[in-house]
Amino acid sequence: MTTPRSPRRSFVVRLYRALLFLLPADMRDRDAAEIEALFADELSAARSSGLLAQLWFAIASTLDIARRAPYEHWRRRGRRPNEESTMRSFVADLRFAVRSFTRQPGPTALIVLTLALGVAANTAVFAIVDGLFLRPFPFPQAERLVYLNERAPAWNLEFTGINYPDFLTWRERARAFDAMALWSETSINLADESGVTRADGLAVTYDFPKVLGIRPILGRTFTKEEDGPTPTRVVVIAYGLWQTRFAGSRDVVGQALRINSVPYTVIGVLPPEADFPGKTQFWMPLNGDPNQQGQSYSFDGVARMKAGVTIEQARADLVSAHAPVWARSDTAHVVSPRLSGLREQFVTNFRVMGKALGAGALLVLLIACANVAGAMLARSIFRRREIAIRMALGASARRVGRQLITESLALAAIAGIIGTLVGRWGIRLLVAAAPDQIPGWVQLQADGRTLAFAALVIVLTAIVFGLVPALQPRRADVAGSLAWGGGGTRTSVGLPQRRLLDALVVIEIALALVLLAGSGLLVRAYGNLRNTDPGFRPDGVTTFRLALPRAKYANGVVQERFYSRLVNELKATPGITSAGIVTCLPFGCHWGGFVEAEGAPPRARNESNPVVLMRYASSGYFGTMGIRLTRGRFFGDDEARVRGRHPVVINEQLARQVWPNVADPTGRRMKWSGDTATSQVMTVVGVVRDVRHYGLVNPMRPGLYLSSSDVDTSNFRPSYGIAIRSASAPAAVTAAARAVVRRLDPELPLIELQSAQAAVNRSIANRRTIAFAFAAFGAVALSLALGGIYAVLSYVVGRRRQEIGIRMALGARRGQVVRLVVRQGLRLVALGVVIGLPLALLAASALSSLLVGVGARDPITYIVAIGLLAGTAVISALIPARRAAGVDPKTALGDG
Amino acid sequence: MATDMRRHWFFILLSLAERDRHGSGIVRDVLELTGGELRLWPVTLYGSLDELREASWIRELDVAPQADEDRGHRRWFRMTPQGRRALVAEIERMQSLVGVAQRRLARVGESS
Repeated sequence: MTTPRSPRRSFVVRLYRALLFLLPADMRDRDAAEIEALFADELSAARSSGLLAQLWFAIASTLDIARRAPYEHWRRRGRRPNEESTMRSFVADLRFAVRSFTRQPGPTALIVLTLALGVAANTAVFAIVDGLFLRPFPFPQAERLVYLNERAPAWNLEFTGINYPDFLTWRERARAFDAMALWSETSINLADESGVTRADGLAVTYDFPKVLGIRPILGRTFTKEEDGPTPTRVVVIAYGLWQTRFAGSRDVVGQALRINSVPYTVIGVLPPEADFPGKTQFWMPLNGDPNQQGQSYSFDGVARMKAGVTIEQARADLVSAHAPVWARSDTAHVVSPRLSGLREQFVTNFRVMGKALGAGALLVLLIACANVAGAMLARSIFRRREIAIRMALGASARRVGRQLITESLALAAIAGIIGTLVGRWGIRLLVAAAPDQIPGWVQLQADGRTLAFAALVIVLTAIVFGLVPALQPRRADVAGSLAWGGGGTRTSVGLPQRRLLDALVVIEIALALVLLAGSGLLVRAYGNLRNTDPGFRPDGVTTFRLALPRAKYANGVVQERFYSRLVNELKATPGITSAGIVTCLPFGCHWGGFVEAEGAPPRARNESNPVVLMRYASSGYFGTMGIRLTRGRFFGDDEARVRGRHPVVINEQLARQVWPNVADPTGRRMKWSGDTATSQVMTVVGVVRDVRHYGLVNPMRPGLYLSSSDVDTSNFRPSYGIAIRSASAPAAVTAAARAVVRRLDPELPLIELQSAQAAVNRSIANRRTIAFAFAAFGAVALSLALGGIYAVLSYVVGRRRQEIGIRMALGARRGQVVRLVVRQGLRLVALGVVIGLPLALLAASALSSLLVGVGARDPITYIVAIGLLAGTAVISALIPARRAAGVDPKTALGDG
Repeated sequence: MATDMRRHWFFILLSLAERDRHGSGIVRDVLELTGGELRLWPVTLYGSLDELREASWIRELDVAPQADEDRGHRRWFRMTPQGRRALVAEIERMQSLVGVAQRRLARVGESS
């Protein structure tokens, strides 16, 4: 990987330098560096004249290589006569190709544009797939890194998080690993003279750097002692923070950083590649408590396997290391360790999306190839006479075939360069569309690998679309093509070519149907997602989070005093109609526990006990968010301040689960179970609609709300979400909210300030990206197929002028002729649909995990897709059909 | 082809007739000389310089005459006496060409 410190050549310059390999070796050795420097200088000089000027300069310089390189070769080979003819013929072919392109600039531009679209889609998608799946983490021997966690199917949790004492047992007993570490994502309030910002980082165990194989570039990382049970105020800062906060100063080690209103000492600086798992600005010691009691599962784990150990061996080793935990406290084996490849763990969410995008882009390229192959074939048929003359004059079929291949290569090369540039732009567009959907460790850049891939695509493309017409001259009947005047040249000859042309269009339509159906399904699924009721009314709601540092707000009572003041001041602000607080906003954090409900049917020993989402909320929260009550009432803020009263509002899911046969659970009681059980008995006062807490895509778990005023001096809640409902514009509200918070405590940053609608949109941004990408693919496919139909029918009409003329001379009406041609177009569509429909159904079943609320066999989508194809086919057939109907029998027959 | 090359050669020589230059200096000067009409693209420029050197019309300087103000342009070129003669001959040839053409056009103008 390149370090950000080395001066980076721009992508275009690297592309240009790669193309310089076309020059003769001696010229390359002597001049390449100077040529590249000259190009880079002039390119940056062109920057001031705008993007178009730069693009033009880059393209013209590339053409300069293409024009000059053959000459330079020829000039040198000229001294060596035996190689001259090959080279000369290549140069001649190239010149010939360029001349024939410039003679028909319109069709040539269309071909180049078509291919460029295909190449662009593939380059962009490859960069993403490469970044996600192919490129390893930037750590030494990254293939030996594994992700650790724990699972508890009985709690309905695939990932529980790791329990600290469990980890200690593993670390002590497991033999298959070089090192093992925990991390926990955390964020802090970072203060300096200019104000307060929120910074995200990791709390890590001391051997975390050893697992990843990272050394600090300055200072050191934590010692075992600093990672002991008592917190130590030391911090290791990331490269980015070092640059922005300390301007890369080398004497940063030993300096102080004010974190959560407390001074910390900087002991080291991390290298840039340590940005794991993304957007990490610092490391703090995890300071786990080995004597921690109870079921607290919250950490992520990473381990480095010993050399030669397989994942399966490591997994078995971890399970056997876990045995004492089961013996000690979990005889039912409810919680067990889980281990997977590190990258595998991080890309799971993207796998289907990456595959779908890759397949979609490939289909677009294939359609583009079929389209261009058709166009080239039609061209070569029109050029039969020219080719026949060349062959009659002694050119071998091989020679003519090579001429055609050279043409395809030249076209593909130009298209490839434009496509790669457009593809790069596409990557930026995709990244901009989903900035926080792409994990920080993914390097999305079009570099050498992307270039190599693009080059491969270009060459393969050239072969695919160039081969078909290139094979034609061998079969060409020279005598037949040269026979002037014979009606035969216009009707009988060219049947095999027409079949081939038809076949290409049928393929295009079949593939276009796959893309159209896929994009229809994805867009409909996205529409369904958007219309999914999130369980609250996001319009007019703004949310943010605050994290009160323990140094200033020691316990729940002090915190509660702050929050009730905040809520009151917010409510008093003009424009704000209501405000409330909750520990976990929708799509936010998760705190879970287990409940025992009074009067619930007893649970069998092996029956699952799903975890319950626990939130603390103020009474104003429900109204502010627009959460609907189905039974009972909300709790009041003062109600929980009465000692021993714990009113609770539960969601429908929980009500259904614990009291399946009770119509109205209000007044019933429940308490926490398991090790964390306290004696507090909660009384249900109301039931609310489910809020889609885990995103619109995921099912809701059982959940409950306790009152945020249910506090005492022993508890501490690290952060609260604040929700504001307002009638006025969000911008005014956010400014007002900032002012209120600053008045109460100038050292508190507002975290994740956004509209609730933005949060909803963000939770489905992935799906939006893929739906939009497929819609774009589908549109391209449709227009290419349309162009294909148009080209074939135009060709056919041209060929059949005489026949049509005869028909009309014999009394056929214009309408009949139009119908004749349109019917021919529809025949191709019908064939394409017959072939494409099973493919589309197959593709849709692969997408099924992305399809919310719409079946993979949803008939409406398929009917619309087919209708769209047929409709556009009719429209694109009408133009050649009307031309055919306009045939004047006299001229049509006359020039035969 | 030959006339095409001549055009490049002609302006490169004309540019070097004033003083020694490096590649990028020649590009700028020729742009200016031709009012932006002729841009010497990088590969064409260095290919032509190579040809001119083979013809001994220019030579490469061993030491850059100016301080290395722009990195990457360490190669400077100077016109040789043969080069100057070739340039002068070319200009004379063009002059006589122009003379012939003008005389002919003047006569055509009278008769019509």
